[in-house]
Parts: sequence; C-alpha cells; structure tokens
Amino acid sequence: MKKRNSFKIFLSVQNALFLRELSMRFSSGRMGMFWTFFEPFFQILIFVLIKMMLFSSGQGNFDFAVFLALNFTAFNMFKNIVVKSIASFKANKALFLYKQVKPIDTVIARTLVEIFITAIIILIFIFLGLYFNFDMNVKDLTMVTLGFSVLIVFSFSFGLFLAVLNVFVDSIGKLIGFFITALMFTSAVFYSMEALPLELQNILHYNPLANFIEMIHGFYFFELDDSFVSYEYILLWTLSLLYTGLWLYIKLEKRIISS
Amino acid sequence: MIELKNVSKFFRTKKGKKYILKDMTLTLPSHHNIGILGRNGTGKSTIMRMLGQIEFPDRGSITSDKSFSWPLGLSGGFVGNMTGKANVKFVCRLYGKTEQEIKETIQFVKEFSELDDYFDMPIKTYSSGMKSRLSFGLSLSFDFDYLLIDETLSVGDAKFRKKSKKALLKKIETCNVLLVSHDMGTLRDICDVGIVVHNGKIRYFEDIDKAINEYVAINKQ
Repeated sequence: MKKRNSFKIFLSVQNALFLRELSMRFSSGRMGMFWTFFEPFFQILIFVLIKMMLFSSGQGNFDFAVFLALNFTAFNMFKNIVVKSIASFKANKALFLYKQVKPIDTVIARTLVEIFITAIIILIFIFLGLYFNFDMNVKDLTMVTLGFSVLIVFSFSFGLFLAVLNVFVDSIGKLIGFFITALMFTSAVFYSMEALPLELQNILHYNPLANFIEMIHGFYFFELDDSFVSYEYILLWTLSLLYTGLWLYIKLEKRIISS
Repeated sequence: MIELKNVSKFFRTKKGKKYILKDMTLTLPSHHNIGILGRNGTGKSTIMRMLGQIEFPDRGSITSDKSFSWPLGLSGGFVGNMTGKANVKFVCRLYGKTEQEIKETIQFVKEFSELDDYFDMPIKTYSSGMKSRLSFGLSLSFDFDYLLIDETLSVGDAKFRKKSKKALLKKIETCNVLLVSHDMGTLRDICDVGIVVHNGKIRYFEDIDKAINEYVAINKQ
C-alpha cells in the first residue's frame, strides 16, 4: 500500500467522518433534518412571545428578535459542540479498528459538522431577516466573527476535555444537561449585562460564556458595547481548557482506543 | 518485519493482573504468512490487534513499517444504522480513495459479498456471517502489506467459504496475512510460519507444521 503523509491521512479521515456524521444527523428517523434547523426558530419565537407579553417596552431600541437570534445561534453552537463531543468517543468506538482514526478525529469532525450547521442556520436567519425587513446592521463584523471563532476553540476544548473524562467517569454525560441549562440562564442570552443589577453582574462576569456572548452582541449592536467583557479572562479560559484537554487526551489516547 | 521489544500486556481482573505477554522480545520476519495459534483465552486476538497497532502493549513497544488491514472478524467495524453501501463508501474515504475508485470498489464488493438487496439495507439487519462477508470483500480491494484475519474464514455457508478461501489464496500472492484460526487445515493451506501463544510467551516456528504440533502438545497437557 502506498504511503500517505500524515496530513493527507488526517484529511481523508476528516472527509470520511464529516460526511458520515452529516448523513447520520439528517437520515435519523425522528425528522432529523427538520429539528436541526427549526429548533432555533421555535426557541426564539417562544422567547419573543414571552417578552412581548411580560414587558411592553424593550430594552434599548435594537430589535429583540435579532438580539435573541444572534445569542441563541452562538449559545446553541457552544451547546451542540460540547454535547456532541462528549458522546463521540463512545459513539465511534467501532471506528477505532481502523488504525488511522484517532479518537480526537471524531471530536474534530463533530465540531466541524456543528460549525457547518451553524453556518446554514445563520444563512437562513439572514434570509428571513431580509425578507421581513428586520434591522440587521452590524457594528463591527470582524469582531463578531472573531468572537464566534474563539468561541469555537473554547467549545471544542471544553468538549474534548469532557469527552476524555466521560470515558472514565460515568455520570458526566448525565450531569452536562443540567449544567448547560444553568449556563443558558446565566450567559446573557436573553438579556445584555448592562440591564442587570450590579451585584448580579459581579457574579455573572465569572462565567466565561457570558463574556463570549456579551462580546458577540456588544460588537453587533450599535446600542451595546463590550465594556463588560474581559478579554484576558476569555483567553485564559480558552487556552487553559485547550491545553488541559489536549494534555489529558494525549496521556490517555491509548486507553481511550482500547477502552 | 514486525519487532516486539520487551512487550508486556495484561488485563486487570479481580484476582490481579492476568498476563497475555510478559516481557516478550521477538522479531517476525517479512514476507511470511503467519498463523497465530493458542488455546481459547490466551489472547490470540489481542496479540493480533497489537501486531496491527490498534491495541497497545502496557510496556515495551511493537514497531513495523508495514501497513495492516483492520481486523477482519465477526463484528467488522461497521456502523449499524448505515447501509452496507454507505459503510463501504466510508471505509474507502478513510483510505483516501478517489470517487472513481470508490465506485469500482462498491461494484466489486457488491458482487463478491453476494448480499444483493441487503447491500442497500442497514448493517444492523445483517447476520454476523453477512457482516464478515462484507468486511472480507471490502478488504480484498485494498493493497495492505498484511491482512489481519480473525476466524473469518470459518463463517458463512460452504459455498462462500470456498469462494473466500480461493480469493484469499489469490490475494496472498501479493500480500501477507496474520491469521488466527482453530482450523488446522486452513492454517496449513494459507500460512507458512506460525506463532504459538502460551503462558505469556510467544514461540515462533519457521514451519507451520511444527507450530501445529506444538499446539497439539499444549492441548494434551
């Protein structure tokens, strides 16, 4: 068999895994395709309705639906990357029979699939926004993109870290559901930080995800800013999770393969 | 050439470590078809997987510059809710085949495995015999240096067994096999050298018949 260099092997493994993950996501009998793309719209619809019923006047004068769409897209991307990554070693165990498939490849492939799906959802949002004449002007597209990009690295690192733990500690997969729900309420998804009382801000600013979401909507809307965001804190979390995740993974790779 | 250096492999059980290999150093020469013999539970399959580098020793190292197939066994490493065809495509992509080559492989595997309609049905509807037919047919379309075969030849009906043995004999003109089997006839037909696994040691025999004699002697103990 002709020798291929390791980057070529990596690419063909990613290609194979990506297409496989995608077809599994969309071919699942429970209306896989439908829910993947419509779940975010339902979420936003429900929250917009709640908001309209409870509070007559909105916060600031930006569009609350656009605000929610942006935040939920970022949050759901984080959530899906983490949740899919955690299960990926166990779900793909059969594939470790093929020497070139390393466990981390499955986490990378799942992350790429989530990025791809997020990109499609963003496109759908943009089309809908244009069609219904929402105000979707972006203050600083570069910084919003940067925010999303660092969030991807953060989510991947966190997912990898938990995936490794999940092989050796059984209950991680079950606990993560609660954890994600708790994060959703404390991560500036439904509100911007400046609308909160100071005591609450002081607590929530320890949540790295709140920093990410604040950064993203701070640079999207002209009415908001990033004064709450600590970039050192974001980087500290991202890099230390990435380092710890990779370190743990490298230490335990062989045990994951034969677990 | 496959080199084992101070290899130890054990499983932890409630009664302590159970060794499959203990501080084993050995070089297996190239260009031989190697039969792996040993009693049930001595770790033949584990050793085969270690030689193929998808399982790892607890101590020591196993090195080789050869390429190895995935272990062709009963489970076959397929994804249950994908069709046979989709699985074939997936494996081809893993090994970097082009779209044209993938088409040819699908055609070949479909004909060889004789799965007919099942080829387009999810793997979870397959019997274990059908899975190993698919796995074996697929492995024939790659050029590995070594095929890892774990008892696969003993499944399927008589007609398919004959066919796959014939295909394998043709295949080993260009590649080698590591074969785990309890069927002495198959071992004699396909392998020329043998290793016997016993009491945490591997013994290498340059003649498969001598390996078989050793195995028979061990069984009489």
